[in-house]
This record gives sequence, structure tokens and C-alpha cells, in this order.
Amino acid sequence: MADIDAATRDLQAALDPDRVLIDPLALRLYARDASLVEGSCSIIAFPRSAEDIQACVRIAAEYGLPVVPRGSGTGLAGAATPIGDALVVVTAKMSDILEVRPADRLAWVEPGLPNLDLANHLRPMGWTYAPDPSSQQTSSIGGNVNTNAGGPHCLAYGVTSAHVLAADVVVPDGSTVRVGSEGPEAPGYDLRGVVVGSEGTLGIVTRVCVRILPAPPSVRTMLLDFATVQDCADTVTDIIGRGVVPAAVEMMDQGIVRAAENFAHAGYPTEAAAILIVEVDGLPGKVAAEAREVEEAAHAHDVGTVRVAKDEAERALIWKGRKSAFGAIAQIAPHYHLHDCVVPRTKLTEVLGGVYAIAERHGLIVTNVFHAGDGNLHPLFSFDRSVPGTLERVLAASDELVRLCLDAGGSLSGEHGIGLEKRDFMPLVFTEDDLNAQACVRSAFDPDGMMNPQKVLPDGARCGDFAIARAGTDVAAEAATSLPEGSWI
Amino acid sequence: MLHPRTPDDIVEIVRDASAAGSPLLAVGGRSHIDRGNPSPVDAELWTTQLDGVVAYEPAEMLVVVQAGMRCGDLAATLGEHGQEWPVDAPEHATVGGVIAAGVSSYRRLRVGHVRDTVVEMEVVTGDGRIVKSGARTVKNVTGYDVHRLMTGSLGTLGVITQLALKVRPLPRASRWLHADGGLELASRLLAAVPQAGAIVATPESVTIVAEGWPEEVSELAATASRVAPVDEIAPGSSFPDLQAPTIAEVAVPPSALGAVLDGATSWQAPLGTGIAWVGTDNDMLEELRERASAAGGIAPAIRGSGGLGGTPVPAVEVQRRLKAAFDPFNVLAPGRGWGRI
Repeated sequence: MADIDAATRDLQAALDPDRVLIDPLALRLYARDASLVEGSCSIIAFPRSAEDIQACVRIAAEYGLPVVPRGSGTGLAGAATPIGDALVVVTAKMSDILEVRPADRLAWVEPGLPNLDLANHLRPMGWTYAPDPSSQQTSSIGGNVNTNAGGPHCLAYGVTSAHVLAADVVVPDGSTVRVGSEGPEAPGYDLRGVVVGSEGTLGIVTRVCVRILPAPPSVRTMLLDFATVQDCADTVTDIIGRGVVPAAVEMMDQGIVRAAENFAHAGYPTEAAAILIVEVDGLPGKVAAEAREVEEAAHAHDVGTVRVAKDEAERALIWKGRKSAFGAIAQIAPHYHLHDCVVPRTKLTEVLGGVYAIAERHGLIVTNVFHAGDGNLHPLFSFDRSVPGTLERVLAASDELVRLCLDAGGSLSGEHGIGLEKRDFMPLVFTEDDLNAQACVRSAFDPDGMMNPQKVLPDGARCGDFAIARAGTDVAAEAATSLPEGSWI
Repeated sequence: MLHPRTPDDIVEIVRDASAAGSPLLAVGGRSHIDRGNPSPVDAELWTTQLDGVVAYEPAEMLVVVQAGMRCGDLAATLGEHGQEWPVDAPEHATVGGVIAAGVSSYRRLRVGHVRDTVVEMEVVTGDGRIVKSGARTVKNVTGYDVHRLMTGSLGTLGVITQLALKVRPLPRASRWLHADGGLELASRLLAAVPQAGAIVATPESVTIVAEGWPEEVSELAATASRVAPVDEIAPGSSFPDLQAPTIAEVAVPPSALGAVLDGATSWQAPLGTGIAWVGTDNDMLEELRERASAAGGIAPAIRGSGGLGGTPVPAVEVQRRLKAAFDPFNVLAPGRGWGRI
């Protein structure tokens, strides 16, 4: 039984009393992220520096407390949901932009910085940070790193991993390591590549070096509406088939268009079965050529209207509708469960049909937003949790939804991560050897399993060779003699 | 020399090697064989019989191939559908070799790094387990990206058997332009046309590769010509194309390139990336490495016997644990990797 009181005193001494919370309300508030699961924790700490973070990790290790890093708590898979007597380390107070270096195409930022704040800071300088998850007003760069966040503009520009050059990380032994490099290559294995998307299980990021890009000189945003979902999806396939990779291709079905329009008043066509927001950017010649291809594709599939944003204000309004969709859903019902599936792009219509069928079977309302360009589907179930039996129906429908996507050749998560919510589905996509290998990656950073335990990998995933080595069998002795000089064994 | 035909053949070979403690090197086209530290082995495992396309759906912009497939063959297959895997490696290089070596294309400014094209990978670990990571979708956050560790690992963590790669549309138009000048002119051109496919500087010339839609390429060329007089030239095959016993690949923050290259007379640098290929010899290599290191970067040899250099590896305990986990008997190219881990 961990000595919470002693741990609290040590943390208060190391950080300062105002930045260590143990009151019941705080423990309740920080017991969950934006997913459906509620957990528990024993202490919440708000570091202001890398040294503070090191102290948190050191003290947690000393008292045997699991550590759960948390940015803005907008995660949807439960990666920041603490369990048991965890110490929650909240980076929200570390939100500075440390330096911007256009000559090196990089910027160093603190992990708690909201994504949109970075973009807004760069814009007047003529630069941009490409990953733009819908949560960007609130979600933190550190959180984005840990979920390898996507967003509409990742279609052409790539996900967060392509935009993180380096990070300083406090690892479970309390030391700070730099993964990656300010330069284009780092020596050794690509630790940066596994830290990005590791959902807070390998360490706590203290600062991030992000890639910045010159803002595109020209952009065109189009809103296309269709009488059938099939026409809409076929248009996306046609666009790709013409060799156009737009900066963004977002699809919204009628239910969510109506909710979004009610809130944002962006002039969305509420009678359409589905709409597409397509954005192309780059040099004016590229934009003109690509916009032409997009319009041709749309007309080839019976588009209703092609609306082109005439200025930045109209562009912002069109995006406002899309980016506020998940909030606007509150008009339909008080609670929602947002899903994240990726399927082959060409299977979108078929899978969407399956989604509607699942919802109907379980008596649930479902609306859909998709990053149509990369087959990343976000079905939203809307419901009232207080009605008995509802949550069970939502969870049953969710289970069927995951299987539907996997059967269509998709993956478990496009951008929200595995967290707690999808952990037990992992054996559906990975073998025991696959999962044990992943456990080896994890235990290379965290041999004692103190960082965000019980997330991502299901129980039973074990780094087999480490288990053998620790058991001290003959195999281990043999292994020990043939390991390179200076190995840890 | 061992020539497996299937992943199971590879499993058997690797298991035997581990049981015997007999070091092994996986090779493909040998195009990047000079990379890495010296690593004497008892046998070479040739992946070149695993050379087919497993699945290809142009509409998905994904192709799944066996690791021994030659880059030239892949380019031909993808080219029929107006697509490419943008690596610019020699034709006889294998896909697995390019990934294991973590090769940088001279078009990196526009197309990014090869590591971001790998979405799924199957490998055989040093103790003969088949491990898959990633998924056949263009976006995926499902567990730990073991394939990212394998990329650039020079065959020291596993033998790559199969990969799913993101591909992109071939540019509709491409023009190569030449201007007289060096790093300073190239920097001004980069500032004027950051959308170029590549801006490759040498001590006396700059090559601009303008790719994209015809209208876009015309705009790029016109803008470039306002910075300096440019001539159109025939497209070259690739960079680097230096004649030197040793070529080092400098990798530093882009603004440091000038200082690192100071005094070097034979180099080609794709601007905006921080990469420069420097023709040198083993005597000068150490000095070049010191300058790269002072700038926070590295300069491993990609041709010749210069090895990787002595830059300390960050998080060395983590790196050692990974090596021990994936190659417990240390038979996969022992000592070839950074820090000789």
C-alpha cells in the first residue's frame, strides 16, 4: 500500500504546495480524459519545468505509484485516464513557445502548449505547423505527440510523426534523454519514432522540437454537396485517381451537417446526404490545376453545388462548421461516443452502410465525420447516459463497429490511439509474438512498468526474452555470454 | 551465401545462426552495403528471392511488397498506374535494403523521408520470431511502431521480409534547371521557391528540380529565373553522384551547413533538409565529423570504409535493451550499428 501522504509531502516540497492537488474534487476531475471510462488517482501534480517532471517521476518511483502523463485531457481512448493510486502529471502549465527558428525550419515548444496557439503564433511569420486535429483549440502538442495526432491536413502533409524532429523525455529511471535530433538524422535506433504515438507509456515529454513549414502561398477551399453517400465517396476515389492529393478532404453526413449548421451557420446544405470539404494549397498554378480536377471529379458524380470560398473569412467559416461538429452534436443528446476507425478508402461507402445498420440495430443515433482522403472514419453515437441500459447498448454497438472496420481491412485506430478503450482488441490484429515484441519496446524504456500501466497492450503481452533473462535459466546464461560487451545484462 | 525463398526459410536460417552463435548479414542489392561500422559475419542472407508484389491497390495509394523486390521493378509496376515510391535509389537496390539503410532521397524537401512511407512491416527477429507491426492503412496509431525501429537499423534488429508502403502520384511535369552559384545562391532560391522538388547546391552550381502540375512547374521556373539566370538541362539520374573513395552524409540543422562544409571542395547538398553528401577520404573524414558534431549533427559514411563515426548514442541503455530483446544472441550484423551496440 503506497504511502500517499509521504509522497504528497515530497511532491509539495519539490514543486510547491499550490501545484500538488489531493482534494476529492480534483481527484474526481482528473480521473478521466474525454473518453467514456472513469478511473481514479491519488495525487495530481502540475510541473512547470523539466526538473519538476523529473522530481515527479523520481518520487512516484520511490513510492511505487504509477505515473499517468496528461496534457489537456482531450484524449478519446482513455490513455490519460488514471487507474488505482496513480500520480497524474499534468503538463498544462508548461505551455511556452521556447524558440522559433525558420532558418532551421523548426520550433521548440513546451508540451502543454495548445496546438492552435502554435499555429496562430506562426501564421503572422508566414510559417505553419501542419498537424491540425479537430481538438486543436485545446489539445496540447505533448498530447499530439503521444497520440501521433492526425487532423484534416495530414492527408497531404503527414501525421504528427512527420513533424516531430526531436523531444526531450524524462524516462522512468528519472533521467532525461533526447530522442531524435534538430538535424535530419539521429544516431542509433529511431527512438523518436516509437515515442511518438506511445500514449504516455514510455516517459514524459518536457519539450518538443517540431517541424515548421513555409505557409502555402495560395489556398482554395471548396464545399461540395451530394444527394447520395455513394456519389460523395466515389468523388473522393476519383480525385485520388486523378493524381490529386488535396491538403484535406473531409466528409460529413446529413445528421452532423445539420447539427454543425445549427451552431456555426456556415451555409452548409442541410438537405444533402453528404458533403465534402476539399482544400488544395501550394503555388497558384498547383491550386488552379488541382481545383479544376476536383470540380471535374465532382461533376462526374452528380455534385449538387460547388461552393468555393471567396476569401479567408468564408474559408474560416466553412472550417468552423467542420471543426465544431463534435461539440455541435450536443444538440442531439447530452452524451456522445466518438469512434475512430480507418478502412481502405475504397471501402468507405460499404462500411458507412454497416455503421448505420449497427446503430439501427441497437437503437442509437449515429452521425459521421470522416477524413475521407485517408479512409479515417469517425462515427458518433449520441445518447443519454442517464437512461438505464443505454451505455450497455453503446458499448455493444462499439464492439460491433470495431469488428466491422477490421473485417473491411482496416486498423484499430487511425489517430485516437488504443489507450484503455481498445486495448483488449489488440489480439484481433496482432499475434502473441507481435504483442510480445511491442512489450519489449515498452520495457526497454520502462523495465518496471510504472509509466501508464494497463494501457495499449493487453495483459499477457510480455517481453519474452527479458522474462527468460530474469528467470536465470540456461538459455539466459548462454545469451549472456554472447551479448556484446557492456550490455545491461 | 544463403538464398531463402520464403519467410519460413529465413526463420530457419536465423534460428540456426542464433543457435550456433554465428553472425549473419542480410543483404539485398548491396547498394548501401558500405553503411555502418565494420561487422565481420560468417554468412550472408540474400533476400533477393523474396521479390514479388504482395498486394497493390492504386486507389489506396498503398503497395505491399516482399523485401527483396528491386526498386527498379517496383518503379515500373507503380509507374504503370502513374505512381511512385519516392526514394531515388539505384534500380537494383531492394526495398528492404533501402529501408534498413534509411536512405535519404535528394528530393527529401518535397517528398519527406522514407521512414514516413512505411506503414506496415514484417520482420524475422534475431531469434527467429516473425513479428508484424503497423497496418495496411495510410494512418494508424495501434501500439508501438516496431517498424520505425527497424528503419535505418542496418539489419541489426531483424531481417525485413515484407513491407507496406505509401506511394504518391508521379508528378505530371518535371523540369531541371541549372544556375551558376553555390550555397548562397541556393539559399536564396530556396527562400524564393520552397515548393521546388529539390534545390541541390554544389560549390559552383545549383540544380533546381521543379516537379508538379505543368502550370506549377512553369511558375517555379519563372520565379527561379527572377532570382538568377537559369538554363534548362536534361534531367539527371540522381544525387549523390560524386566520384570519391569516401562519401559522407552530413546531417545537421540546415543553417549550420555552411560552416560544416567550409573548406570542403566536393559536395552536393539538397537545400532545406540539412543533408549534404561530401566526397572525402578517411583522413579528412574525422575533421568533417567534428564540425558536424559541433553543429549538433552526424556524418556517417555512405560509401567507403569510414563507418558511422563515434557520436554518442542517446539513451544508450534503451538502445541496448532493444538490441538484446530483438537479437538476444547478437547474430544480426553484430557491431554494425551506432555505438557498436
